[in-house]
Amino acid sequence: MEFSFMYKEGGAHPDEQKGFTDSKPIVEASVPKIMVYPIAMHIGAPADPIVEVGDQVKVGQMVAKEGGFVSAHVYSSVSGEVVAIEKRPQAGGGEVDSVIVKNDYAYTRAEPIVKPGHSSEMTNKKIIDTIRKAGIVGMGGATFPAAVKLAPPEEAKIDTIILNGAECEPYSTSDHRVMFEYTDEVIKGIDIVSQLYPDLKNIYIGIEDNKKDVKKALEKATADNKKVTVQTLKAMYPQGSEKNLIKSLTGREVQPGELPADVHVILLNVSSARAVYHACELGEPLLERVISVSGTPIRNPQNLKVRIGTPIESVIDDCEGFSEIPGKVLSGGPMMGRAVGDLSVPISKGMTAVSVLTRQEAQIDEPEDCIMCAECLHVCPVSLQPILISEAFERGDIEKAEKLGAMDCIECGNCSFICPSKIPLLDNIRGAKAAIQAKQEG
Amino acid sequence: MDNSIDMKKAQNKLQVGPSPHIRTRRTTKSIMIEMLIALVPPMIAAVYFFGWGVFIQLVVASGVAVLSEYVFQKMTHRKVTISDCSALVTGTLLGLSFPVTVPLWVVTVTSIFAIVVVKQWNAGLGNGGIGRNYLNPAVTARVCAKIFFTPFFTDWILPTGFLGGPYGGVDAVSSSTPLEFIGHGAQSVSNQVPALRELFLGANLGGNIGETSKLAILVGMLYLIFRRIISPKIPLLFIGSTVLVMCFWGSFDLEFMLTHALTGTLFFGATYMATDYSSGALTPGGKTVFAIGGGVLTALLRIVFDYPGGLGIAIIIMNICAPFIDQKLMPRIYGHKKRPEVKFDRQSPNQL
Repeated sequence: MEFSFMYKEGGAHPDEQKGFTDSKPIVEASVPKIMVYPIAMHIGAPADPIVEVGDQVKVGQMVAKEGGFVSAHVYSSVSGEVVAIEKRPQAGGGEVDSVIVKNDYAYTRAEPIVKPGHSSEMTNKKIIDTIRKAGIVGMGGATFPAAVKLAPPEEAKIDTIILNGAECEPYSTSDHRVMFEYTDEVIKGIDIVSQLYPDLKNIYIGIEDNKKDVKKALEKATADNKKVTVQTLKAMYPQGSEKNLIKSLTGREVQPGELPADVHVILLNVSSARAVYHACELGEPLLERVISVSGTPIRNPQNLKVRIGTPIESVIDDCEGFSEIPGKVLSGGPMMGRAVGDLSVPISKGMTAVSVLTRQEAQIDEPEDCIMCAECLHVCPVSLQPILISEAFERGDIEKAEKLGAMDCIECGNCSFICPSKIPLLDNIRGAKAAIQAKQEG
Repeated sequence: MDNSIDMKKAQNKLQVGPSPHIRTRRTTKSIMIEMLIALVPPMIAAVYFFGWGVFIQLVVASGVAVLSEYVFQKMTHRKVTISDCSALVTGTLLGLSFPVTVPLWVVTVTSIFAIVVVKQWNAGLGNGGIGRNYLNPAVTARVCAKIFFTPFFTDWILPTGFLGGPYGGVDAVSSSTPLEFIGHGAQSVSNQVPALRELFLGANLGGNIGETSKLAILVGMLYLIFRRIISPKIPLLFIGSTVLVMCFWGSFDLEFMLTHALTGTLFFGATYMATDYSSGALTPGGKTVFAIGGGVLTALLRIVFDYPGGLGIAIIIMNICAPFIDQKLMPRIYGHKKRPEVKFDRQSPNQL
């Protein structure tokens, strides 16, 4: 028997809030008249627009080309006319150049990026090229270009693939539904990726123990693959963080400055795996994703299959709108998501969910004095002492904040969440990180 | 839709700000209130065994604590923080840690000392206030009271029933605490010690009003553990290490060992005092060492010195050591080989 009520170190238990949508089938979102394609939906160099105002585009036609090695192509997910290329607000805050396409509702398709149905015969180079061509990024929110991540130097000797299906953010159920409804596509996506690594020994599918239906579906779909282990993990935040998941499943720790590949591990999000299948087997670039639209102020929370570029207000309309004035609309979940100030912001490649908080839920009280309860130490997944870093930063002692490991913070938000004194610990740690970086850059 | 909320209107009211966007409902005040709830079982036991008079003692102790915090913060032009209920907890703990025979002026002086000298002034060690005091206010004040005021409450009276007690008009029976028969270097249980069952329930037992019924304390302890207010390892390791040392000292005499576990302030102190956030250790490893150290010291003080009230001294010693323990036991950061090497200090940023 597990004593789950006991003190569990290295994680927190925010209300899961998944009941809004976790048993609702994915439905197709409606497609609005105006679609917005930001040229930077990924980490790395922004893409360069390759269309001009007035051009006609097809579904699956590239509208912006990768701007460097670490970058990703952007495609139009509808057919129609390019009506503007201008700055538009983005989920990450600020404005970014975006290609605006007026939907003609004809859905004329462009040529597939590769000949469909030949993924099993592809060379490694061809697979990576196809993934690059498709513009796939880490769809769990990290948005790192997949073609770069999946092609580490040969000496990395990848022996483990981890499919990240933990989905530890409250409200989010998109990965859950994708694994349940598109099980075969996800598994085929992993099969394609696993062709890349000759030293591969294990494929772990990490899911939290609150997704029992998924475990069964995955085990059934992978029954004849000896390398695959469907591993249930304790539902705990941030179980799905890269470092945490690698440690939980393989016992390995990624050293500071290292990548998962340095410990012979490749991590892949569920939706990214499905996108790999769509690219290599069907010849489709990344055009759509599944998101959950959830929260108390949403009248009819749902899981939606959305064309990338659809403004948030359109998916909220699909869910019958707000039943009360919301406090915060978040791209992602309430722990690591970004607050959106403008509902015309489009659904981007890495947006897992639109979570909406009531004004009361979004209320954050004034900070009080620290009572040294040590909760922030207990919940820190990388064993920092958040309060000490926060205090060092407030005193202006940046050197001390650095020695205390500020740069190792993964910004999961557990410390700020758990603090009974409502001290903005993560804000202070972010401040310390920025100051350390500024100092290093001279 | 007829009753839909207009998208533009909703957008204009949207809040933005950095993640995380939600906070736990727990606050400093709610933690203190849960501490008070956990003190209800010992309070009920105290009333049951020592009569309604204990109420007066508790009201004086907690009232004076809250009032002295208020007056001190007003006089020093600090923010008044009595609404966080921490002074109320300190006062209640103090009230429960005296025998019912104590004169109320002793309670009053001790309460003021706890709040003003130990908590707010931090015994002169640095800036005080909630979360900043190095010493446990209730324990330190109680130990000082024992040193200075012992003549005023030497005799421990036995309980005289629900409506009896010294304020009930019934003659009080004076007695020694059971600990005095097994402390002082004793290695076995004298026949003057009450039976284990009585020690556990607190029946016919003299002592400080809050600590006689181990059953009541156990209920409070379980509440705090299940509500995740305290880490279970502190009370368990604390009591466990005292018992273990006694086990060896008493040559594995089970009765001697259990008698030690159930006498004196051990249960009360391990549950409500050693778990104090501010004066305890901060790091997970530090908490373990703090608890074991406190437990072992308590046992040693009972054995070596002619002094049964070892727990208070043990906690104070561990309070003083806590920052040094934390310094040595800072957790190893994920992916790093060594613990961080940096001076551990708990000075408030806004009070320097």
